[in-house]
Amino acid sequence: MEVRELASMPSMGAQFAKAMVPSFHRGPARIPTHAVRVSRLTQDRTRLAGYDRVCGFTVRDQVAPTWLHVLTFPLHVALLSDPASSVRLAGVVHVSNRMRLHRPVTADEVLDVTVWVDNLRPHQRGALLDLVGEIRVGDELVWDGVSTYLAPGADVAGEPVAVPKPEFTVTEPIARWRLPADLGRQYRAVSGDPNPIHTHALAAKAFGFARPIIHGMWTHARLLAGFEARLPQTYGVEVSFTKPILLPGTIGAWWRPDGEGWAAAATTPDGAKPYLILRVAS
Amino acid sequence: MNAPRSAVIVGGNRTPFVKAGGAYAQASNLDLLTAALDGLAARFGLAGQQLDEVAGGAVLKHSADFNLTREAVLGSALAPTTPAVDLQQACGTGLETVLYLHNKISMGQAEVGIGAGVDSASDAPITVTDGLRRALLTANRAKTVPARLAAFSAIRPAQLIPVAPQVVEPRTGLSMGEHQAATTARWGITREAQDELALASHQHLAAAWSSGFFDDLVTAYLGISRDGLLRADTSMEKLAALKPVFGGPDGTMTAGNSTALTDGAAAVLLAEQGWAATHGLPALARIVDAQVAAVDHTSGDDLLLAPAHAVARLLARQRMSLGDFEFYELHEAFASTVLATLAAWESDTYCRDQLGLPGALGSIDRSKLNVNGSSLAAGHPFAATGGRIVASLAKQLHARGSGARGLVSICAAGGQGVVAILEAV
Repeated sequence: MEVRELASMPSMGAQFAKAMVPSFHRGPARIPTHAVRVSRLTQDRTRLAGYDRVCGFTVRDQVAPTWLHVLTFPLHVALLSDPASSVRLAGVVHVSNRMRLHRPVTADEVLDVTVWVDNLRPHQRGALLDLVGEIRVGDELVWDGVSTYLAPGADVAGEPVAVPKPEFTVTEPIARWRLPADLGRQYRAVSGDPNPIHTHALAAKAFGFARPIIHGMWTHARLLAGFEARLPQTYGVEVSFTKPILLPGTIGAWWRPDGEGWAAAATTPDGAKPYLILRVAS
Repeated sequence: MNAPRSAVIVGGNRTPFVKAGGAYAQASNLDLLTAALDGLAARFGLAGQQLDEVAGGAVLKHSADFNLTREAVLGSALAPTTPAVDLQQACGTGLETVLYLHNKISMGQAEVGIGAGVDSASDAPITVTDGLRRALLTANRAKTVPARLAAFSAIRPAQLIPVAPQVVEPRTGLSMGEHQAATTARWGITREAQDELALASHQHLAAAWSSGFFDDLVTAYLGISRDGLLRADTSMEKLAALKPVFGGPDGTMTAGNSTALTDGAAAVLLAEQGWAATHGLPALARIVDAQVAAVDHTSGDDLLLAPAHAVARLLARQRMSLGDFEFYELHEAFASTVLATLAAWESDTYCRDQLGLPGALGSIDRSKLNVNGSSLAAGHPFAATGGRIVASLAKQLHARGSGARGLVSICAAGGQGVVAILEAV
């Protein structure tokens, strides 16, 4: 695979504007066949501390795997604004995510970040595609992740692949978290994801939401932070985003040991319906 | 009541201390305290273990941190079923948390626990003015809209300015530095003597870092692995060039011989001696005795000389004299605090009139004072200083050999002081 080396992380503004222009592409969907990479990326400790605060993590030297995902996100945007991609970020839905921390990563480590698009496949409502990320320190793979997006209306030949429904059992929530109206703004400031559906009512309405919705990756991070002290040093984590959370709002959350790992969910306050279902495997 | 048992200091862990607004500017008290506990847990294999209690505290504390220590435990590697308590006695906090656990273990109420302290001058709580606070509370209680509006109408623009915490004595309106400047002048403590003490503090701390003394006492945090205020290359000339910050233009107290606002956290592991042995943990030292005292600075007493009183009572109870120690750890709130305390003990008049002794308590061998540096060089995150001193002194005494004794003396706001005698196991 061709790897295009970028001098630095793309700044989100202009790139994002391009990615937010909906695709008017007709015909079979296309995805970039190249990977993008930023080498020697240093981590901004001030931004990391802000991220920790917004998501509920303790400010530590060891970083959360979701923070490493955040560092890869500008490259998602770069790929989904590339001329080679008929799929634009505008309108795609983040349906699931998985990542693995292969060893503890500290904030002073210098990272090589690579992302590519893979596995474009038909879905009842369009197509699914994976944004695959890898983070290395030198030659050592320290983190990898797969973000699965649904591109509604995208045309991919073949039989739609059934997406297995994640297992969910109605559980009494352990926590009830009140999400303030400006939470999308707070998370935008630390994650760099400027998608206006998280911050502006009009933009949210344009995409069919009554109010702004919180970033799924915030909910993912907040849920992990709920039991961060119980997590192993390294682990894999998978989430399914089953329903958007409108801001402001109140959600329930629970977590429990499950076999070798943990099961957790963000739910409606009564625990009846899941917003996000999470599994940790050590 | 159970017979007293032997509580021992197993070891300690702290973060490097850094100047307020520096590398820990984004870290809260909770983050710092969690880091100190996690480092201690890693050092002594306590991950997932349920301890009997963790006592901790902070001097500058947000009201949201009402359960600071318990929250830190929940965020740490310790078992979440470890109970915790918050204590506070200004700069005496850290030593008091250690004494609290020591006493519980001695009385059989606990087998193992942690005494800890933290302060972040960077993350200090900002509050609203008293007038605004009262108006808001009245409005909150109001049952009708007009009553609520009336409450709001009482707010004056000047009341909207937020209030930062100050190290000011509420009853005198004087800062701690201003109080100490009066003490410095009263005792005739010279600029040169203060700068010499500050220089020794930096030199001792630098030497301790170089020799690896802190390797098993400090865990790096947020990329910092050494105390940030330490100036290994400072000199009498450099210290002499600093302008006075307290005591007016002719004052002798400078930024060099006064402690700076500092961020950091420290924790000390204590256990019943048998418990420590069966768990394969070391026993460095025990606490022989401790004493608190207070002076009446609202009637003109020297604000920071309460430890002089506490030590006099402690020595009398233990039938010891001031010279009976291998090491002296006198917290350097200001260089002149240490020097005035030493002068007070050497003064026949003060010891007779203020401490009720027949004559002077005596003098100490200065080569035994703060041998690994103290607060002037390390910095002084208020509630973390006690933990820093206890862990370091316990290690020093243990290295010196069984029976070696050390004296800890810490002055605190409000005219208070807490002192303790440690003895190598």
